[in-house]
Amino acid sequence: MNVNFNNRDPVYVQVVRHFKEQIATGMLEPGQEIPSRRELANKLKINPNTAQRAYKEMEEAGLIHTERNLPSKITRNEKTLGAVREELIAGAVDSFVAAIRPINVSLDEIVGLIQDKYEMESKEEGGYE
Amino acid sequence: MIEVKNISKKYGRKKVLNGVSFTANKGEITSLIGINGVGKTTILNAIMALTPVNSGEILINNEKINKASYEKITFIPDAITMLPQMTIAEAMQFMQDFYESWNQERATELLGFFKLKGSDKISSLSKGNTAKVNLLLGLALDVDFLLMDEPFSGIDIFSREQIAEVFTSHLIEDRGVIITTHEINDIEHLIDKVILLDEGTVIKEFNTEEVRENEGKSVIDVMREVYRT
Repeated sequence: MNVNFNNRDPVYVQVVRHFKEQIATGMLEPGQEIPSRRELANKLKINPNTAQRAYKEMEEAGLIHTERNLPSKITRNEKTLGAVREELIAGAVDSFVAAIRPINVSLDEIVGLIQDKYEMESKEEGGYE
Repeated sequence: MIEVKNISKKYGRKKVLNGVSFTANKGEITSLIGINGVGKTTILNAIMALTPVNSGEILINNEKINKASYEKITFIPDAITMLPQMTIAEAMQFMQDFYESWNQERATELLGFFKLKGSDKISSLSKGNTAKVNLLLGLALDVDFLLMDEPFSGIDIFSREQIAEVFTSHLIEDRGVIITTHEINDIEHLIDKVILLDEGTVIKEFNTEEVRENEGKSVIDVMREVYRT
């Protein structure tokens, strides 16, 4: 686990975002156990209080849950998991549109470019098999 | 909690501390930041009652420093105080003989954590490893508060990284830490609280996550604002 933190967003927010990305990409599966707060702090080289804060936020958002003294686990709630995926997609689209709009390019052209890129990348991925 | 209340200190005519106040909590890492010569080390010495102050007071868990509270706090100076001809193991033995609060189990764990060899002579160590031994000798004491003077100063990047890892590990537990530094890069994500000093006065005190959250600023952004105006 290696995360490059920026210096201007709260670290706990960046940790939560990191978990959301891991969930959306399937690196973390529903019901999977996650590290303890101390382990997470150690892995990400962050303050243990910050790790604690990130877990509290995720707990409140229903992303993870903890039963008594057992390790915390990723939720199995499909609605919550679906919302995480949607949130990340919406965020990526937002930043893409924000970057491409000033260049003055037609929607058709963009869609074509995206299609080409997708096909090329799936070919490349196939090439490694 | 360590409460520094309005302390002032003069060396001859020179005022080095001028009404310094701040608090440092247990379970948090508080960083005293300032360019060299602003009195950071003097503050740590004053907390340890190693240097008398001219006015103000310092409370540790609501009490003035006394024999009992003195046992609960340790000062790790910026240079090792052991004799160079000692081996690391001998230095550890010396600490064990001298301090009741010495925790041999943690000391051994730290030795492994820092990848140090007990049989090595202190005089033969690199700067980075000397700094690690110095830190080990302080961290192995069972105390509530650790005062560290410039633990990252003048050592290589990998030693700095290794030392920074101590702060995220169980080796710190929920103790309170005060670090003085003039370099923030290595520890920006590790510290809870920042006290900015200039010319013997606290010019700003803030919580790092709050300043990121409420103002979208990094610690260095705040320092730039404060020191350049």
